[in-house]
Amino acid sequence: MSNLSVYDELDQAIDQMLQPQLAQKRRDPGAPPQTDEGNIRELVELARNLRDLPGANFQTRLRLELEWEAAGRAVSVPTEADGHRDGQPAAKAAQGATQILPSLFGKSWIGYPVRRINFVASVGIHAVMACLVGAGFLMVKNAVPGVDRQTSVTVRLEPYRARIGSHPNSGGGSGGAAEKNKASTGAAPRAAREQLTPPIVVEQKQRPKLAAEATVIAPPDLAFPRTRQIGDPLSMLTAPSNGPGVGNGMGGNAGGGVGTEGGPGRGNGRGGGCCEGTYEIGNGVSMPRAIYAPEPEFSEEARKLKHQGDVTLLALIGADGRPRNLTIVRSLGMGLDEKALETVRTWRFDPARKDGRPVAVQMNIIVNFRLY
Amino acid sequence: MNAVANLAELTSLNQERRLIEAAQHDPGRFAELYENNFHRVYAFVARRVNSRDEAQDVTAEVFHQALKNIGRFQWRGVPFAAWLLRIAANALADRWQRAARGVEVPADEARIENEAGPADAAEVERRAMLFQLVDRLPADQRLVIMRRFVDQKSVREIAQELGRSEGAVKQLQFRALETLRSQVRNRHE
Repeated sequence: MSNLSVYDELDQAIDQMLQPQLAQKRRDPGAPPQTDEGNIRELVELARNLRDLPGANFQTRLRLELEWEAAGRAVSVPTEADGHRDGQPAAKAAQGATQILPSLFGKSWIGYPVRRINFVASVGIHAVMACLVGAGFLMVKNAVPGVDRQTSVTVRLEPYRARIGSHPNSGGGSGGAAEKNKASTGAAPRAAREQLTPPIVVEQKQRPKLAAEATVIAPPDLAFPRTRQIGDPLSMLTAPSNGPGVGNGMGGNAGGGVGTEGGPGRGNGRGGGCCEGTYEIGNGVSMPRAIYAPEPEFSEEARKLKHQGDVTLLALIGADGRPRNLTIVRSLGMGLDEKALETVRTWRFDPARKDGRPVAVQMNIIVNFRLY
Repeated sequence: MNAVANLAELTSLNQERRLIEAAQHDPGRFAELYENNFHRVYAFVARRVNSRDEAQDVTAEVFHQALKNIGRFQWRGVPFAAWLLRIAANALADRWQRAARGVEVPADEARIENEAGPADAAEVERRAMLFQLVDRLPADQRLVIMRRFVDQKSVREIAQELGRSEGAVKQLQFRALETLRSQVRNRHE
């Protein structure tokens, strides 16, 4: 008797125990009787008890469930109340028990217990991540003033020079008609940036065919006292006279202005301009220094249309450092002039000085609006 | 011999008592009680139900209830397994009562049927020991036993799965059963 036959006999006996009907059909009617019947029967009896062995992973899985439960986590075990009746497998009953959000409301998921805290934690973490991503987008959107980065506003200060021909402006003028008397008193003519007709008191016999208003060259915003009779405001003579000077105008010199030194302006200086109270920068007169100068902003319209360039303002910087009589010398439009005016009006200067004393001067303020 | 056996039993009870007290303070320690009693409870339940699935369900229910109520357990010198088997008997009785539905089964009667008598207790212990011994078999023998008796596969199917000859599988089956028989005998002696 070989060992192999014992193995076969045992296997046939086990087959008969597990599936009696099937084993009966398979049994060979001519097979010899079992040689080691007592031994085989004992082993089969032992094997009979093995039919009730628990599933391969059941013990481990149950231990895991208990550990989760012991750790305070929610673990649900399928019970009869979940639909396990009449011998139906509990795991299958629990699997089909919950159709909606089984990870949250279910008892188990394909035989594994549900840990609701994991589901809640997952939802929470995803929500936080979504908030962070959203906040990131929001911050990037709000923090990048893209347009501001593309604009630049620079300001340049320049002394004001009202140039007439080759004569530098020194705030005065003169002229005359070669008369014996000095120029008679009266109001100064209107100030203008250019002079078409010099002022005269005694009109010539030959009248011009195309008459133009008599003006002196001075900042146009300067308003002189106006009376019916024009003349030199500093003269004491009342008899009408253009003065002993030449070249039209009024006074004892030449140039078409009103005054004593010559030039097309008004006052006792030379060259053009006005008034002894305002000095020209240079020749002992220092340049005002801006001590509070916020930058003008780009207008929305100019930004959208990418309009750029310079706005030149003429300003009288008083002895107190405040800008006055702001006028636009060179306009840029699209709201940039107004932005420049609005801002420069708030500026404060360390005033120009002459012999250590603060004096008023006129100067150009050039605001450069640039887009990149 | 009796004195030695009594001493061993007393030592075992003391150890179990310490385990119970530890589990009452820290439920995480319940795992040791579970490992010590799993096969006993399962064997007790498996003798009283018709299917493996049902036996596993009831066993799981017993241990979950035990873990839930471990704080209320009072040590009276009785093995912890007795308490577990009482829970199992009650669980089975409840289950049968619900299954019976229209048929009235007095609760006391159902519980009496589930109580383990001395002979039954010995059989439960024997089977529990057998199940434990299966876990200690060599891996290939254990695999053949599980496939043959739990999954109820034929030798041919197992041979195909393992990539071995049918003769080799039959040989593993024979050796596994012989090993189990000899170990059971050794435990009883």
